[in-house]
Amino acid sequence: MSVTTANGDRSHRLTINEDAQRMIDLARTEGIETVWDRVAAQEPQCGYCALGLSCRNCSMGPCRIDPFGEGPQKGVCGADADVIVARNLGRTIAAGSSSHSDHGRDILEVFLATARGETTGYRIADEAKLTRLATELGITTDGRDIRQVAEQVADALYEDYGSRKESLALAARAPVARQELWRQLHIAPRGIDREQVEMLHRTHMGVDNDYVNILLHALRTGLADGWGGSMIATELSDIMFGTPTPVMSEVNLGVLKTDQVNIAMHGHNPLLSDVVVAAAADTELLDLARSYGATGINVVGLCCTGNEMMMRRGVPIAGNHLMQELIMVTGALEAMVVDYQCIMPSVTDVAKCYHTQVISTSDKAKFPGATHVSFDPAHGAEIARQIVRMAVEAYPNRNPDRVRIPVEPVRMMAGFSVEAILGALGGTPKPLIDAIASGAIRGAVAVVGCNNPKIPQDYGHVELTRRLIENDVLVIVTGCAAVANGKAGQMLPESAALAGPGLRGVCEAVGIPPVLHMGSCVDNSRVLVLAAALANALGVDIDKLPLAGAAPEWYSEKAVAIGAYVVASGVTTVLGVQPPIFGSPHVVDLLANGLDDVVGAKFAVEPDPERAALLIRRHIEAKRQALGLPFVDVDAVEPVAAVLSGA
Amino acid sequence: MRSVFVNPERCIGCRQCEIACAIEHSISRDTISAYLESPVPRTRIHVDAGREATTAFPNRCRHCDPAPCQQVCPTGAITRDESLGIVIVDPGRCIGCAMCAVVCPFDVITFHPLVGGTDSQTAVAVKCDGCQGRLSRGEMPACVEACKVDALVFGELNELVAEARLRESGAVLAAAVGTSARTALDPLLAWHALGRATTQLADHAAAQGGAR
Repeated sequence: MSVTTANGDRSHRLTINEDAQRMIDLARTEGIETVWDRVAAQEPQCGYCALGLSCRNCSMGPCRIDPFGEGPQKGVCGADADVIVARNLGRTIAAGSSSHSDHGRDILEVFLATARGETTGYRIADEAKLTRLATELGITTDGRDIRQVAEQVADALYEDYGSRKESLALAARAPVARQELWRQLHIAPRGIDREQVEMLHRTHMGVDNDYVNILLHALRTGLADGWGGSMIATELSDIMFGTPTPVMSEVNLGVLKTDQVNIAMHGHNPLLSDVVVAAAADTELLDLARSYGATGINVVGLCCTGNEMMMRRGVPIAGNHLMQELIMVTGALEAMVVDYQCIMPSVTDVAKCYHTQVISTSDKAKFPGATHVSFDPAHGAEIARQIVRMAVEAYPNRNPDRVRIPVEPVRMMAGFSVEAILGALGGTPKPLIDAIASGAIRGAVAVVGCNNPKIPQDYGHVELTRRLIENDVLVIVTGCAAVANGKAGQMLPESAALAGPGLRGVCEAVGIPPVLHMGSCVDNSRVLVLAAALANALGVDIDKLPLAGAAPEWYSEKAVAIGAYVVASGVTTVLGVQPPIFGSPHVVDLLANGLDDVVGAKFAVEPDPERAALLIRRHIEAKRQALGLPFVDVDAVEPVAAVLSGA
Repeated sequence: MRSVFVNPERCIGCRQCEIACAIEHSISRDTISAYLESPVPRTRIHVDAGREATTAFPNRCRHCDPAPCQQVCPTGAITRDESLGIVIVDPGRCIGCAMCAVVCPFDVITFHPLVGGTDSQTAVAVKCDGCQGRLSRGEMPACVEACKVDALVFGELNELVAEARLRESGAVLAAAVGTSARTALDPLLAWHALGRATTQLADHAAAQGGAR
């Protein structure tokens, strides 16, 4: 069924990218339903839910609160709008924190098994990083077998998932003042699973009935993700697959090859994708592909799996979140291999219209209509070859008349781990701090998060980033925001020409883009590490720095967890999509104002990227002023009205 | 004259009126089993999205007098109950010609198989019947009862219009002379404003030439 949106939106109103526009038009012509059709069909979406005012936590309900104040003001249990909104938000953050952390645990399991020699296809790739991490955890490394050290590191990190500690090991990376603040507020994360489970407990009917108390624990639940589950995922991925270094690659649907077997790795965990990339170079499988008339096997990434593979292997990325259906409309995709998170249930429906094989691999994420190949790290290499073989066997089913790869790829640079950034700066954050202190760089902003069909795809990411770099603000990107900026050509060393004169000078001197690719969504933990390193180098807490976060097109529960830990770590964050909290004036006031007095950072909501850029620049200049650095009045330099009308 | 009055600015798009209406017009009148009936019961009120995100309009039969649908119905299936002030369809006489839908100024007549219709397969005109049964029991129409934000209210029409006028004058005066009915942070207004801003992004994106 083809559906036009309520206002008859044409594809150029749905996305800023030519590849997506052409595929949406084709999908509509061919009667293939996509996410944009479904969001139109869902409109109007329920206002109670959008405002956070509906509660399904118990069966005295479901309940809802009248936001106009005349209908019911309390649920059956007596919970008012504040409690219901806070409980819902808390559960959202618990789900997001759990998702990242369970991803981290999966890597931890394979890391331990690899240390014990129980896997195929995995190894300790970065011994130096393992040694540094072991030292940080108080594990002696001198003269010891690296696998023994790895086993002990794994044991120590498993402890962080439990209930018996007072604080997480890696939270010690935060500035001492920040750790002390967390202790005073009773929000220092103690155990990863513990905080998430405790949030589910607190939001059961009749437990935590104080919205402030619930929201404080929500911050702790977020911190357990950022300084816990996500950080463990990032650290161990680097150790097993290599710490990223700057690498050139390509992005958009143009990375698909007309004459090759195309395999898209979609999802999040590098455990699977890394061995599949290796298997695609298997000579026997390449011979098989050639026997079917293909000239090779082309592995590409989608979403955060794409970021993981590009960061470490230079593997091209076909697109971000909203491209997962459209990539199949090219008619050139033999297999979409998925693990978990952000994989729409609809992919198997679209696949039915083409020859694409959807191959699910995680026993915790099954897709009716997909072929399930249970991933077992003990046989990682063998399973990867089996998956690649399935893709090759699908190639003869391709209909050459339906192959239409819409655009040429765009080049982008990726791979800016904290280690790589410091390396580019000569080993210390000092050059960056000096550039910020002089005002050449005004500050740094992490633009992160997803795509959301409520926002024209990539418009928020690309416009916000562009306005920031034009005004000498260094931008760090992860996840879908990174892919969006790559497609827009803003992530090349020569993209420095798009930046203001100060940032441009620094980028050209060091040879880096003005928009730095820091990885996947779990790699937002890298942002924390970098912020902490800058703060520690300056001897101040993170909230004093001219930094900000932005999630212009967020959609997922994970994004809310990220927002929670970024703000709780002292970085003010601007959201482009409204979170479901507006049913409670108290909760809005706390998150948008009150938090600033508590953790030194707060949330703002601003869909328009032009205005969001102004908000962020005002914030950065205020932080500069407070630090005694040269600052400008953003509104005096560039009147708001002029910017808005010129937009 | 008692009537259902719509305050569209209050509608938050939850569509609970649609569910309540369908269940009211089922055989079982039970939330769970209603969906298992054949023919499946249908709503006669329709909540459609506005042009801006976070806006919606609950659209239903206005029971016009004279009613264009009644005037064009070739089989006399549409009649007016003068005592209740409502326009009703006799599904047994409806031939599904859709003339009523063609002339309806509000596009609120849809076609589905109906209990009491020609048979369980043939679509007949389905529209609001004013919840006669509920009214005779002294209850409010199902859609009004389901609405917790007063987007749908039931009562003497002129009284409801006067109430709405009062709210309107408050809003106009607040804008004109700077008095404000709500002085505190108003998240609901913010929610609507953010919805409007989000909708405008598509214009901005398209104005910038779209493709890159």
